Amino acid sequence: MTCTRLTEKLDDYVDGLMDRAESAALGAHIETCNDCHQVLARAQGLRESLRAYGRSSMPHPDAAFFDRALAQAARTGIRRQRSRWVMTAAGAAIAAGLVLWMLGGMFLKTPEIAQPHPVIVMTLEEPRTLNLVFSSATALANATMTVVLPQGVELMGFTGQRQITWITSLTSGKNILPLTLIATSPQGGELMATLRHEGDERTFRIQVNIIS
Amino acid sequence: MSSLEQNQRASFDTLLRPHLDRLYRISFRLAGSKPEAEDLFQDVLVKAFARLDDLLDVREPAPWLCRVMYNHFIDHRRRIRRARLVCVEESQLPGRSLESLPGDLDPVRDAERLDNIMRLDQALATLSDEQRLVVLLHDVEAYKLEEIHQITGDPVGTIKSRLHRARARLREVLSTDGTNSRA
Repeated sequence: MTCTRLTEKLDDYVDGLMDRAESAALGAHIETCNDCHQVLARAQGLRESLRAYGRSSMPHPDAAFFDRALAQAARTGIRRQRSRWVMTAAGAAIAAGLVLWMLGGMFLKTPEIAQPHPVIVMTLEEPRTLNLVFSSATALANATMTVVLPQGVELMGFTGQRQITWITSLTSGKNILPLTLIATSPQGGELMATLRHEGDERTFRIQVNIIS
Repeated sequence: MSSLEQNQRASFDTLLRPHLDRLYRISFRLAGSKPEAEDLFQDVLVKAFARLDDLLDVREPAPWLCRVMYNHFIDHRRRIRRARLVCVEESQLPGRSLESLPGDLDPVRDAERLDNIMRLDQALATLSDEQRLVVLLHDVEAYKLEEIHQITGDPVGTIKSRLHRARARLREVLSTDGTNSRA
């Protein structure tokens, strides 16, 4: 064991990353070498100074700071989420899983046209984002959206909830509602999205099939 | 607020709260002063809320959050630095005072400790951003090399050699001013 070896392995020695035999051999050398002893003392001194620096150089935010920061983040996030929801998306490239409904100006008063339900296929336990695109001829303020999920399909972030309702507004043009879903059991079923506005409503249905 | 939003808020709060202290410490180490650290911390919480679905899917949120913070800092470093230039007093004495130290009730020892902190501040300022960060995370905050790799995405070997050079530089600077010999 030589002084050069300590220079090469100083960090590993101080951090305790050397194997026991090599560390013992280097320790024995340091015991007998004044230069290496001093080198090691400086390295350990720096380490202790930095730890002490960590304990005493950190300002502590006041007790309410974290509460305020969380509340502010949620407020900002929800505001952006709402504006994304009402965003006009004409011309935008929509990710896989897009389902589009055309809504007429008086869409809620017109009879629903019988048509095959869109079908999406999900893999068990793999999240998939389904983008529901509502194309509306007119703006709809204060509409209510209710999503009912099939058994065994969950909306990410809402574990155990099969029905979720919120108030929203649609702009004229295309409005995107991204839903990140995860299938927790293989049966699948029908996903319903019901839009209500001023006493009228329309339900959109999607068949969700699950493969394991 | 709709029931959906209330649920989002509740999930966000539950998920984030255990990691706030750690996140705040890293934001301070990255930004270097209290006002910028608080801005960085707030920005990252907003980003985390926007990616709540991803976050719920992550097995270990802490490294994920730290990584988001690090990337945000790198992307906005120029703006953060510019802001820091304005806070001259803050950068000279970043949030430190005798009152903020754990009290010994011994004015001489407290003054020595404050002096050491200021010398370490000056020595750390001689390192590159990358070197300073690895020292602050590893030697000050006691993160393992692998954890630093998870935060920065840099290979462990690169982090290790940065740490090696940074420590050598600190020893050199501090031995010149005598601080390290007193430590």
